[in-house]
Amino acid sequence: MAASKLSTVMTPKRWKMVRKGVQYVALGAFFVLFIASRRGGWAAEVVNAPMRLDPLGMLANLLASRTPLAGSALALVIVLLTLVFGRAWCGWLCPLGTVLDIFTPQRKLQPIFKEPARLRSIKYALLLITVIAALFTNLTLLIFDPLTILFRTLTVAVWPAIDRILSAVETALYNAPLLQDPINAFDKVARPALLPDTPLYYRDAALFAAFFIGLIALNWLAARFWCRYLCPLGGLLGLFSKVSLVRREVVASACTGCDACARLCPTGTIQLGKNGASDPSECTMCLECLRACPRGGETFKPVLKPAKLQPYDPSRRQVLASIGAAAVGVGVLRSETAARRDDAHLIRPPGARENDLSAKCIRCGECMRACPTGALQPALFEAGLEGVWTPVLLPRIGYCDYSCNACGQVCPVAAIPPQTLDDKRLTVIGKAYINTNRCIAWADHRDCIVCEEMCPLPEKAITLVESADSPVKLPVVNRERCIGCGICEYKCPLNQAAIQVYAIGQSPS
Amino acid sequence: MNRRIFLRRMAIGLGSGAAGWLLNACGSPALPPSPTLAPTATARPELPYLVVARGATEPEELVKRALAALGGIERFVKPGHDVIIKPNISVGYYGYQYAATTNPWVVAALVRLCKGAGARRVRVMDFPFGGLAEEAYTRTDIKGQTLAAGGEMEVMSSLKFTKLELPKGRDLRSCTVYGDILKADVVIDVPIAKQHSLAQLSCGMKNLMGIMIERQAMHFNIGQRTADLASGIPIALTVVDAVRILRDNGPTGGNLNDVQKIDTIIASADVVAADSYAATLLGLRPNDVAYIKAAVAMGLGRSDLAVMKIEEIKVGG
Repeated sequence: MAASKLSTVMTPKRWKMVRKGVQYVALGAFFVLFIASRRGGWAAEVVNAPMRLDPLGMLANLLASRTPLAGSALALVIVLLTLVFGRAWCGWLCPLGTVLDIFTPQRKLQPIFKEPARLRSIKYALLLITVIAALFTNLTLLIFDPLTILFRTLTVAVWPAIDRILSAVETALYNAPLLQDPINAFDKVARPALLPDTPLYYRDAALFAAFFIGLIALNWLAARFWCRYLCPLGGLLGLFSKVSLVRREVVASACTGCDACARLCPTGTIQLGKNGASDPSECTMCLECLRACPRGGETFKPVLKPAKLQPYDPSRRQVLASIGAAAVGVGVLRSETAARRDDAHLIRPPGARENDLSAKCIRCGECMRACPTGALQPALFEAGLEGVWTPVLLPRIGYCDYSCNACGQVCPVAAIPPQTLDDKRLTVIGKAYINTNRCIAWADHRDCIVCEEMCPLPEKAITLVESADSPVKLPVVNRERCIGCGICEYKCPLNQAAIQVYAIGQSPS
Repeated sequence: MNRRIFLRRMAIGLGSGAAGWLLNACGSPALPPSPTLAPTATARPELPYLVVARGATEPEELVKRALAALGGIERFVKPGHDVIIKPNISVGYYGYQYAATTNPWVVAALVRLCKGAGARRVRVMDFPFGGLAEEAYTRTDIKGQTLAAGGEMEVMSSLKFTKLELPKGRDLRSCTVYGDILKADVVIDVPIAKQHSLAQLSCGMKNLMGIMIERQAMHFNIGQRTADLASGIPIALTVVDAVRILRDNGPTGGNLNDVQKIDTIIASADVVAADSYAATLLGLRPNDVAYIKAAVAMGLGRSDLAVMKIEEIKVGG
């Protein structure tokens, strides 16, 4: 029989090698696509494919935006995979899962605490609240989607840190004349293909790094702590896995109850003293248990009945509680103190409209990665707690490059609408105002025309006027023309810019 | 990896880092010798001091004829030389038709001439103030034409910037510039003539702001400081691209109505003279441009177009 032949070729050890191979390839692909997401990298529909594979992100986006996106159909691939092989995504493909595997302490597979089974229900609660909040057009909880966590952290913290460290080393070594040529040769290959020409800065990078390190540190409490107890995507795929086709089964006649498999199971779903029984919703199909069983009693075979319910599965009461929590939570987020939508400097990426953005943005950070000047930054509270980690443009950190439309192209959910470069050049994202009490020309009567010089518009939105009161030309903004790109604010020589871009409808006058 | 290996690797890493510092400490960081303007400008009285080539023909032809009249590229570039061509690629917003950036065929013509004279390497570079360098190189087509001509495009590396003392400077006494410009055997300045609201004219000396870091600080006294900067940069040859000139909304451009096609190339070993002539194309007198005035006062070059030996060439029909 073919199956038995397969089992003789594919020893448990080989299965593990194959799985690890697939995991590293998937992680590598995610990483390569991350690198290629920069402006000038690969095609947008290629680099944002991982986000579109994500069933949680796509489902929540669909519910919140009520707009079906052709690209998000890609997520059905993972749904289908799950319906056949259970949570194989988690064990074989998820890049965050692989990162967590890499940082798993060898002898700490099982929890160092007495595991309350209900801990596992956190992920379902998170899932239910996320999905129900999405019905109320809120996507805040997608900050806990594993793909957005990894991509965002790479963008905001990991990559800039690597760049900074490498630059410091290069600068130090560059002092040695002999090393200059090799360093230049290295830079020619690495920049800007892999690392930026000029360093990028992200606000609160430490916060993102700490969150991620915390996530990894949980592995020291139990292997794949995140995947077992917390991951909302894992919860979603777990629900599908209740009816998945191929499942782990134990041949009762072979099992002696030795619990060797239970001790090796990285998700702890094979519990001690249960004769090797496991829950398909918790099993990541990693096949580690194959190796454990001294009598070869493990099989993975088609099963056509729904899996047994577990005490930690969402109950009716829990579903109702989640609906309530989501409703109250969304209400609180939108109540007066939190929903501050009137921040004067809340400048959004070109074409993104405020209500649209909060109902569509999955917080993946693709736009921040693509932005060549680093202008797009994760919002902290300026968009209200609800808009946490949505993109906001900070002209003092970077400007909206007049020859770039990358953010709208790369956004996997059209929260930033894709625009042609010609259209984007006409898109108004804010308006610049000059503080004449600080402006070098207005206040100090010294020559400075930097903002005028930098203005990229064919008919400059900043012009210079002569005044009887001033020996120097004075810059003024033509509000009709200004698109709010912010290069004037970015380049203003003062330590706090005397020309600033304000969100539309938020003029200081 | 166990602890011992980790520590060993750590030691190697730290050691090599320290070695870098040590090597640096041994050879005292030689400040680049402060260069002076190429003496060739005055050395050849039999040749024209400045050449103007005009004609509705290929820009490349204008460049060739202008250089030939100036005594040939061989006057500046010797076999084995490392040449840097510095066009104006100030922004990457538009194609060359918008006259915000130097005409790519003018750049390519110079690359070919230098290669023909036996230059070992010809690099073309600028540091745009708006947008990414590599994108600006591509959109302006300067990359395409340069590579086709056998030259290299270099994205300026932050590692190569170095402090330059400007002993002749009257206001700007030092600045940070791209080190390779000081190390190259020959630097060719290839600006495009553009209107500029403060400096009046953006041309050869103004084009040098593309190789320095402290650009914002220039504006407080742009005339003197631009001349101060020019006093420290060894420009062997200036070729002004006036195939198209930008008469308004400079230096960024974007409006074809501001562009005037006048099919002109100016070449001189004296950047001050080249800028002076370019000023007249925009309806200015050399003395209207503060940096020309300052440069003349510092003895960096000449602006007396009336008595200068100028050769005007008409090319084509």
